[in-house]
Formats: sequence, structure tokens, C-alpha cells
Amino acid sequence: MIRYCVLATFTLVLSAAASAQTAAPAGDPAKGRELTRMCEGCHGIEGWRTAFPEVYRVPKLGGQHATYLAQALHEYKSGDRSHPSMRAIAGSLSDADIANLAAYYAQGGPQTRTASK
Amino acid sequence: MTTHLQATLLLAASLAALPAIAADVAAGQAKVKEVCQACHGLDGNSQTPDYPRLGGQYPDYLAKALRDYKSGARKNPIMAGFAAALTAKDIEDVAAYYASQPEVLARKY
Repeated sequence: MIRYCVLATFTLVLSAAASAQTAAPAGDPAKGRELTRMCEGCHGIEGWRTAFPEVYRVPKLGGQHATYLAQALHEYKSGDRSHPSMRAIAGSLSDADIANLAAYYAQGGPQTRTASK
Repeated sequence: MTTHLQATLLLAASLAALPAIAADVAAGQAKVKEVCQACHGLDGNSQTPDYPRLGGQYPDYLAKALRDYKSGARKNPIMAGFAAALTAKDIEDVAAYYASQPEVLARKY
């Protein structure tokens, strides 16, 4: 079963990578939505600023590429990217959680308009 | 004591609100055409999933990201090279330019 799942995932990843540049890591946006309680306290508030260690507005995430979002969370989790709160939060996420959150935030930004170059 | 703390916080907040360098959107666009457009798009609506969309993102976040790439605090072999070539002024200009573009990103709950 596990082997089958790994194989299926691998095949999916390969075909996704091969098919188009719009490919995103397979994640379930509905499951991602269930995890956003830990995110919305900062990312859900218009213009919210981090207070430590530097003051700047936390990024808007809605409509961002899922691939990029997942990569950012993995970087926080591994410590490659540093931000105290984000490291702590990402450290609590499984790979599946990360894919699901990325899928959720990638949905429904205003970018559904036809993209220009 | 409380008043002192409030004054300190107020000062910190007002300093944070002031951009260190006045940004020039037109100069930012010129720099974007030269350095950023190929991956992130002229309007910041990147079509490549590895490269983040930047259009309408907060300029202070964009500038922070570029400073971190330049300093090496944020590690990315591609961005390290580009950010190294940007001056502090370029960073403010580029951030202001992408922030001024049509929003492709939204705050989301």
C-alpha cells in the first residue's frame, strides 16, 4: 500500500512537472483551510506588521503560487529561512499540512484575471 | 513607566512608518526591466510556480526580502546573485514599483 502510494505520488509529481509550469504540489485546499487558524492572526489582517525582529507588513498570500508557498514553509521548517514565529509554526507542520496550506492559499486570489506577461 | 513605554513604542512605530529612502517608482521599473522581469514578470504576475507573484505585495515586505537575499540571511542561489547587484536605493525603488502594480495577491483568511 505504502509502495503504491509512493509510486502514485511520484508519478503524479513527475507528470505534473512534465505537464505544465502551472503545476502545484498536490494538496487539499479544504484540509488546508482547517489549518489556517495559526496563520490568520497575522496573514488574515490587512496591513498587519511583524513586531520582531524587524517591522514590516506580513506578506499577502492569497493567489500566490502553491509551489512557492510550499517551498517557503519547507525553508522555515528546515531553518533555511529565519523568522521566529514562522519557524515555530512551520516546524509543527507535516509535509502534507504544508501541501494542503499551500493549495488553500494559492486558491482564490484576484490573480484569476488573465495574466499578462 | 507606562508612559515611557508608550513613548518608546510610539517612536518605534513612527520610525518604522518612515521609509529609510524615498522610493522612485519609475527608477524601480527601469531596474525591474533589467533584473527582475524575466522571472517575475513586468507587472509581478509571475507565470512560473517556483517564482513568487509580487504584484501589489507590500513594499516593506518586498524590500525586507531583498535585503535578506543580499545579506545572505535568506538563502537562495538565484536571488542572491540578483540582490547582490542592487543598491539599497534600488531595493526601495523595485519594491515600490512592484507594490504599485495591479494586485495579483490578496490578504486571505
